[in-house]
Amino acid sequence: MGYFIQVIIDALSLGSLYALAALGIGLLFGVLRLINFAHGDFITLGAYALIVPAYGPNAIRFVADFHPVLLVICTILIVVAIALISEFLVFRPLRYASAATLMVGSFALSYVIQNLIIMIYSGRPKSLDLWSVLTEIKFDVSGVDIALLPLLIIAVTLILMALLVLFLKRTPWGVQMRAAAEDFKMARMLGVRANFVISLAFVLSGALAAVVSLLFEVQTGILTFRMGTPLMVFAFIATVIGGMGSLVGSVVGGMAVGVVSSILQAGLPPEVRGYRDVFVFGLVILVLLLRPQGIVLSRAARERV
Amino acid sequence: MTTLLKVDNITVHYSRLAAVRNVSVDVSEGEIVCIVGPNGAGKSTTLLTISGILSPTEGTVTFGTKNITGANPENVARMGISQVPEGRHVFTALNVEENLRIGTRMRRDRGEIEKDFNMVLEMFPVLAERKRQSAGKLSGGEQQMLVIGRALLTRPKLMTIDEPSLGLAPKIVDRVYEVLTDLRNRMGLTLLIVEQSSERALKAADRIYVLRSGQIQLSGNAKDLRDGEKVKQAYFGFTEGVKHVGEVAF
Ligand SMILES: Nc1ncnc2c1ncn2[C@@H]1O[C@H](COP(=O)(O)OP(=O)(O)O)[C@@H](O)[C@H]1O
Ligand SMILES: [Mg+2]
Repeated sequence: MGYFIQVIIDALSLGSLYALAALGIGLLFGVLRLINFAHGDFITLGAYALIVPAYGPNAIRFVADFHPVLLVICTILIVVAIALISEFLVFRPLRYASAATLMVGSFALSYVIQNLIIMIYSGRPKSLDLWSVLTEIKFDVSGVDIALLPLLIIAVTLILMALLVLFLKRTPWGVQMRAAAEDFKMARMLGVRANFVISLAFVLSGALAAVVSLLFEVQTGILTFRMGTPLMVFAFIATVIGGMGSLVGSVVGGMAVGVVSSILQAGLPPEVRGYRDVFVFGLVILVLLLRPQGIVLSRAARERV
Repeated sequence: MTTLLKVDNITVHYSRLAAVRNVSVDVSEGEIVCIVGPNGAGKSTTLLTISGILSPTEGTVTFGTKNITGANPENVARMGISQVPEGRHVFTALNVEENLRIGTRMRRDRGEIEKDFNMVLEMFPVLAERKRQSAGKLSGGEQQMLVIGRALLTRPKLMTIDEPSLGLAPKIVDRVYEVLTDLRNRMGLTLLIVEQSSERALKAADRIYVLRSGQIQLSGNAKDLRDGEKVKQAYFGFTEGVKHVGEVAF
């Protein structure tokens, strides 16, 4: 029983990280039809923001030593600033380009960010202990230890999703974003500023990336220049199987991918456990064969049909 | 009458193809002007160029005293041109009230918004009943009322409407035109309407332009053209008795 609970909590916590990352990707896809492959690098940069930009082998703590509230705020501000600069320098000039061109632009941005990190911080992994007490606190449930961190990840994700829903449903800016996501030209003809809603989407996407950075960094305790990439890959898959352009789909997809990975991790015989991702991707292909539009059919997808 | 909108000699391309060539249209304050023409004539292209979705390769668009050629759609809207595009374009992700209010965000006269909002709900009681419903659930006629109300709530100086009768039953089309003429008569709203049916246009408009193959074929006072003969010729491009192959009879 205790073991079962542990597997479920781990699965939901991994699913939560994927869902948060997928939301960041889904928001930009919604308004801009941009599949932002640099989202993983936004996540990486959030973690690197914690240390002093220096080439040496050891991490010199910087934001990491701030008061937790200030630390969270600083990390979010830094990643949001990077997201806005990326929008201005890369995606604004490509505003009227095709979705494929935008995507290639995001690959280029990803490459530039990774290489800047290597230039400034070096390519070596650096260990950085952040709030490791969260991984040490454990509850005893039916003889099995349940750590606090996965519970916290799930809670943070639920809170952020609730805030995002409130923002999108209850505020005028949120309504403008939903309108622009559905029909950008019509929204503009009603005075909704394109630059404003797109910047807003980058702000939200960047803020979500920053939170993922922190949660992921607490979990792993290590900084590498490609640490965000696997999150981005799984989150991208999540948005695809969830249904491109649907935020609910992003969350459902993220949860599904996380839960399936964790359950396979726990349930596969040890000899094949190393090939877990083969099974995950196999399932993804199966889902796409059965439901090419994704689990949740978005308005954007419906319109294109 | 002062000229409110002056479309001067515009040519608009889709990549290589010129969809509209040397088109000029004037609209004076308080007028109802109709552009009529067959499918593919370039009517929508003309309206989308006025609202800044498309840029002309030649010519200018002037609104009041401002040159708005190539301006952003949001800035054109903010200057006072509200477009109801072809196919209505309600936001189905939004409820009826959110649809109506979205264009009020750019208004400076905050105090007037509630008054206008109530006026629109009075004008279209169906919308009042269904304020909280998704706009996608409305019938075609109700959606047409919604987008007209939505455009009105931006308090435009000029409203442009692309084929308001598209896909609606004749009785509902009558009602739409009743509303539009009423808006002009009561509030002095200036209207530029695009229609395929020249009969409808001749009834509603003060002046009409006939557009075919991307060019203006004829323009004049609706009163003078009321018998419809000249319009028919300009519309179909044939003189009486000589029908070209492939052209549809009136
Ligand atoms: N997005 C587009 N890309 C290429 N050609 C287009 C596009 N939209 C319209 N056209 C072409 O431009 C011409 C005028 O179209 P349009 O302005 O929509 O006519 P109307 O509204 O009078 O039916 C047509 O020949 C049409 O095929
Ligand atoms: Mg048209």
